Amino acid sequence: MSPSTDNGVVDTPPLPPQGVSTRVLGGIAEDATLSAPGVFLILLAFILPIGQMLLLSLENTTGGLTVEHFTRFLGDGYYLGIVWRTLRLSLLITVIAAVIGFPLAYVMAHVGPRLRLWLIILVILPLMTSVVVRTFGWMVLLGRGGLIPFTLWKLGFVNRNFTLMQTESAIVIGMVQVLLPFMTLSVLGVVMKVDRRLEEAARTMGASFLATLRTVVLPLAMPGIVAGSLLVFTLSVSSFITPSLLGGVRLPVVAGSIYEAATKTLEWNFAAAQSVILLIGVFLVLLPYLKLTGRRHG
Amino acid sequence: MSKIVATRRVVLNVGLGLTMALAVSGVISPAAAREKLVINSYGGAYEQIHRKLVIEPFSKKYDVDVQVITAYSADALAQLRAQKAAPQFDVIHFSGGQEVVAAREGLIAPIKPDELTNAKDLYPFAIEGLSRGEGPVHAVAAIGLLYNKEKAKKPEKWADLWNADYKDHVVLTDLSNSYGLLGFLMINKVKGGDLTKVDPGFDAVKTLLDSAVVVATSPEMQQNFAQNDAWIAPYAQDYAYTLRKAGLPIEFVQGAEGTPAVYLTANLVANRPNQDLAKKFIDFSLSAEVQAGWAQELRYSPTNKATKLDETVSKEVVYGPDAVAGLVRFDPVAVDANRAALVERWKKLIAK
Repeated sequence: MSPSTDNGVVDTPPLPPQGVSTRVLGGIAEDATLSAPGVFLILLAFILPIGQMLLLSLENTTGGLTVEHFTRFLGDGYYLGIVWRTLRLSLLITVIAAVIGFPLAYVMAHVGPRLRLWLIILVILPLMTSVVVRTFGWMVLLGRGGLIPFTLWKLGFVNRNFTLMQTESAIVIGMVQVLLPFMTLSVLGVVMKVDRRLEEAARTMGASFLATLRTVVLPLAMPGIVAGSLLVFTLSVSSFITPSLLGGVRLPVVAGSIYEAATKTLEWNFAAAQSVILLIGVFLVLLPYLKLTGRRHG
Repeated sequence: MSKIVATRRVVLNVGLGLTMALAVSGVISPAAAREKLVINSYGGAYEQIHRKLVIEPFSKKYDVDVQVITAYSADALAQLRAQKAAPQFDVIHFSGGQEVVAAREGLIAPIKPDELTNAKDLYPFAIEGLSRGEGPVHAVAAIGLLYNKEKAKKPEKWADLWNADYKDHVVLTDLSNSYGLLGFLMINKVKGGDLTKVDPGFDAVKTLLDSAVVVATSPEMQQNFAQNDAWIAPYAQDYAYTLRKAGLPIEFVQGAEGTPAVYLTANLVANRPNQDLAKKFIDFSLSAEVQAGWAQELRYSPTNKATKLDETVSKEVVYGPDAVAGLVRFDPVAVDANRAALVERWKKLIAK
């Protein structure tokens, strides 16, 4: 889940370097040998469990096949409401992360290497701390009498009992902080590769700074923004620790609902069905992207 | 190896007294074939106290090994089921009513009251299950009303949750939490419902939701009392003590309408060779001294009438015949059968 790996995928030139090197090295046997551990790991740790989950989601109490778990989920306004909240918040989180992440990455790409290193460390630093710890930090800041509600109260905007905890805002704030590094680093990798002379040319031709940014840098950085957005979106759709701690039990999201069904009410089949629905949902979002960029990035 | 041989020679020369001393100090313990019991405990602070009060004194007293496997009740029941052909536990502890199911499935063996020296001192509710093949209740975690004594006036009954004085300061617990489930069932009972009729409970909760906070875990409960100006919450007596130890001015009240509780039982696993020793272990858990220890350390209520508690502790547990008479037990089998449906309906009710 390293963000830099993701850049690697996104900003590789049309002929990926590893493709070049394997072709230079030799035939199919070498390819197979080199990729075996990775393929084996994917089969063992991803394909197999996913297959089992699919089976589980279609199993009824006596072991036969059924779609009752899917109809229960899809036929119930409550669960559809959870899906709607999850999608809505994830999109909002993605947009905010992109709006904050792009300028940050642009600045990081343009400062000197020393300062850039420090900025990268600054961006990555939060990833070194557990999500749970960071979320607890937000709980202190957002809770009743916490720094943010207290400041708002002192400024006269809200009453003293105001709290941001257990609101959708809290979920968005907490998630943006958790996921911003993924966006920033994805964009940074691409912006770094943009030829500075293109910007200089645009400025010489009379474009303002903002116009240059909008017409030259932004379109060229788009692959990074798209990759970062996908990363942020899929991570926020499937995360449950931050939403459950900051949003509480009254603002359920899909991942939290799966967790509840699997661990609290022990309805494993239903939990599996929800997971399959989430997986299909994420695939549906990924599909247009793969189609769009498939030819360029393989 | 030579060390052990040498030790044995010494032992033979010096005699029995030293054998005991060496065995206890563990010098020859790997070689000595001591009797062994396998039990489960619940981990964390509970298991620490369990070791201190029961496991270590027992293994010293009877010169046996006790192996502890950390497994919560539902997990322990699942393990017992999986091991039915060849059980691995001797004594199994449950806290969620699983003994009813385990007894019905023949996973645990019945104990006769006269096989337990402490049985005569137990309150009737604690040995009631013996006739059904369940183990005795060795401790009780009572559910009632926690309140902030510095901010709120003392509540007297469950119905006080709807008192306008507490408006905006009530904390409710999610039904995925077993304390929350018991609290809800009590609210339902107070409002005239029962396990087959839960509308009164849900309707009553609905009227509270606009002004109440709903939490799912104990730490969230603590946070609400510490930071979010919570005044009153249905929750467990032992947790009130945890909050007091954390410096919060929280007291516990038994609601006048009754006190639901988590009943902690010690059960004899069926088809094990060591049942006599296992019964001794269960009996040991029921002693007045051990139960006084549980009350002292974690504020679990004793089930042994002979338990002597000092004044402070006795006020902070369910103590004495009058208080014990208020205990309510919901049928664990019916609760278990309805759990998933109750939790789902609750989630739909509280979701914004």
